[in-house]
Amino acid sequence: MPLIDLGAAIALGLRYFTILYLTALGGLFSERSGIVNIGLEGLMIVGTIMGAWGTIEYGPVAGLLIGALSGLVFSMVHALATVTFHVDHIVSGVVINLVAVGLARFLSALFFGQATQSDPGIPHLNSIDIPLLDKLPLGLGAAFSNMSPVVPIAFLMAIPTIYVLNRTRFGLRLRSAGENPEAAETLGVRVAPLRYAGVGISGAFAGFAGAFLAIEINQLFREGQTQGLGFIALAALILGNWAPIKVMIGSLLFGIAQAIPLRLSDAPVISLLPEEFIRMIPYVVTIIAIAGFVGRVNPPAAAGRAYEGSAA
Amino acid sequence: MATAVSGAPKRSRSSRLELIGGQILAFVGAALFAGVIGGIIIVLYGENPLFVYATVLNYATARPEDIAQVAENATPLIFSGLAVAVAFKAGMFNIGVEGQYIIGMLTAAIAALYLDRLPGVLLVPAVVLSAVLGAAAWAAIPAILKVKTGAHEVVTTIMMNGIAISLVAWAILNPLKSTGEQSVDLRTNLFPGKALMPSLAEPLGLPSSVHLTLLFPIALLACALVWFFLYRTRLGYEVRAVGSSSGSAEAGGISIGAAQIKVFLISGVLAGFVGLNHLLGDKGYLGNNYEVGLGFAGIAVAFLGRNHPVGIALSALLIGVLIRGEDGIALSTELPTEVLIILQGVLILSVVVAYELVRRTVARRQLREEAVVEAAAPAEA
Repeated sequence: MPLIDLGAAIALGLRYFTILYLTALGGLFSERSGIVNIGLEGLMIVGTIMGAWGTIEYGPVAGLLIGALSGLVFSMVHALATVTFHVDHIVSGVVINLVAVGLARFLSALFFGQATQSDPGIPHLNSIDIPLLDKLPLGLGAAFSNMSPVVPIAFLMAIPTIYVLNRTRFGLRLRSAGENPEAAETLGVRVAPLRYAGVGISGAFAGFAGAFLAIEINQLFREGQTQGLGFIALAALILGNWAPIKVMIGSLLFGIAQAIPLRLSDAPVISLLPEEFIRMIPYVVTIIAIAGFVGRVNPPAAAGRAYEGSAA
Repeated sequence: MATAVSGAPKRSRSSRLELIGGQILAFVGAALFAGVIGGIIIVLYGENPLFVYATVLNYATARPEDIAQVAENATPLIFSGLAVAVAFKAGMFNIGVEGQYIIGMLTAAIAALYLDRLPGVLLVPAVVLSAVLGAAAWAAIPAILKVKTGAHEVVTTIMMNGIAISLVAWAILNPLKSTGEQSVDLRTNLFPGKALMPSLAEPLGLPSSVHLTLLFPIALLACALVWFFLYRTRLGYEVRAVGSSSGSAEAGGISIGAAQIKVFLISGVLAGFVGLNHLLGDKGYLGNNYEVGLGFAGIAVAFLGRNHPVGIALSALLIGVLIRGEDGIALSTELPTEVLIILQGVLILSVVVAYELVRRTVARRQLREEAVVEAAAPAEA
């Protein structure tokens, strides 16, 4: 019995991984460019509402893209505030999160006639089976069958991310804006547009992840469905030391931790805990991970710092 | 460049006045800007923005009980704004006010239910003390983790918020579950009447639907105490030194870690008061219907108020007006009340941006004046 549950638990963990990893990769671009983005949660929320609307109107592919695009547009508020007007990054991020909740309710009332959710069963993508892995014994195959195609795409996103960051001129300049904006500017790199780009990419990723949550997992928009996943993605980013592959490992850890309360509540030891304590597991895991590994983290040197360049 | 390093203490009196005047101007300008943006949204929704704003103002100020309602709304926001601001003065973000006040409500409920043998004169202070200790203990964990391991308080406090919500959900379902007939209600037993916060409604001749309590004057007193702490005590000085430049503070012999832990505890103490008006002035029990989001609202209040106790009191009252206005909007227009949340967000961002623009303008002018002085007397290098 527990082994069969394990397959389902991994399947759910992989879905949470997808949300966390996509959002964290977005955050990686933003922070590598020097802008701390705790507004990821709010950007995800915008992705859920716009993605849900998009899939109802134009189908799931368009829904995911509309989610990404609206995340991008909304993130420009954060970019404008932090890059151009030097508003404290945390303050702006908190405001993004506050406004996103209000905006989502407003739009939900507009789109669905009720402030807190859409009708359930909105259109989603056809699910796929991963060849070979879906035949794994002991019920583990269930983890890799009937999967949203976005899940493997999330894993594969590591490749373009690494390529862009390390092998392109844009990536090099983006990182220099986050590490040493003064030196970058001296070398003729314009910091502000790069930081706008970094924040915009984070908005697109987080919006996409939110749309994935609404369309592919819950198949509806519901207020509060992001449940703080944007913040856990931020923790995965820190735990992964702002490096794409390590962030993937961190996101897997937190993804599985998220799945425990929902799918492993019957497992030995865990079943002895009251439900509310099981729900604390992801948060406790995050705190322990952040406190335990943080000695080894190495954030972008200029992240969180306003850059008052010559153009400012 | 030199002015940027030497910073605030050298600012002359006239330029300080100029800065304060500029900030007031900035606030007004930003509020107008936010009103225009909000107005555009309202027009898109097919309503008249002037009518909507008039409704908000009318609902908030027409009768004495409306004003009392605004003060009631502002009470928790003053405490959470102060909690955020105190930590911010030390360069830390207490995003965990949310979880801290939720734990404070839990420990207050425990005291109210189990210390019921105490007379009222002692019980109310004991309940408040219990709230404060619970909230401060909850704040201590991320503070200690930050100082000992470097774990960033923004992430850990957010996680502590999630844990607090689950802990309270568990407590009101298990050890504190009400023993009364209506077991469908997820809540504790009613607190004894003597554990409740003395109401100001009756003495002021207001209807009992207003839950204005002694906590409102206590909140104003807290503003004064926080001001005194920050600007007139040694620890307050250290806190501000750590916040403005940790490097020079350390060189000046200040232990950064110790100052950060102490200030986070003070922040937690203030957070402990946030949930009390709801708990002891309104409901009289702890249930799963408690108000959430007051901690995050505190961040908005703190930054609207420029992290200064007076500014915090004023901006809490302003947000109190907007919250009261939601009722008016819901009753008199077709508009979703979320418009006011969006309006708040636009207001905060535009105010913060406006402050920054003023700061830049004043700094630039000062730089120019100093350049003139230096050009006139170029003897020293």
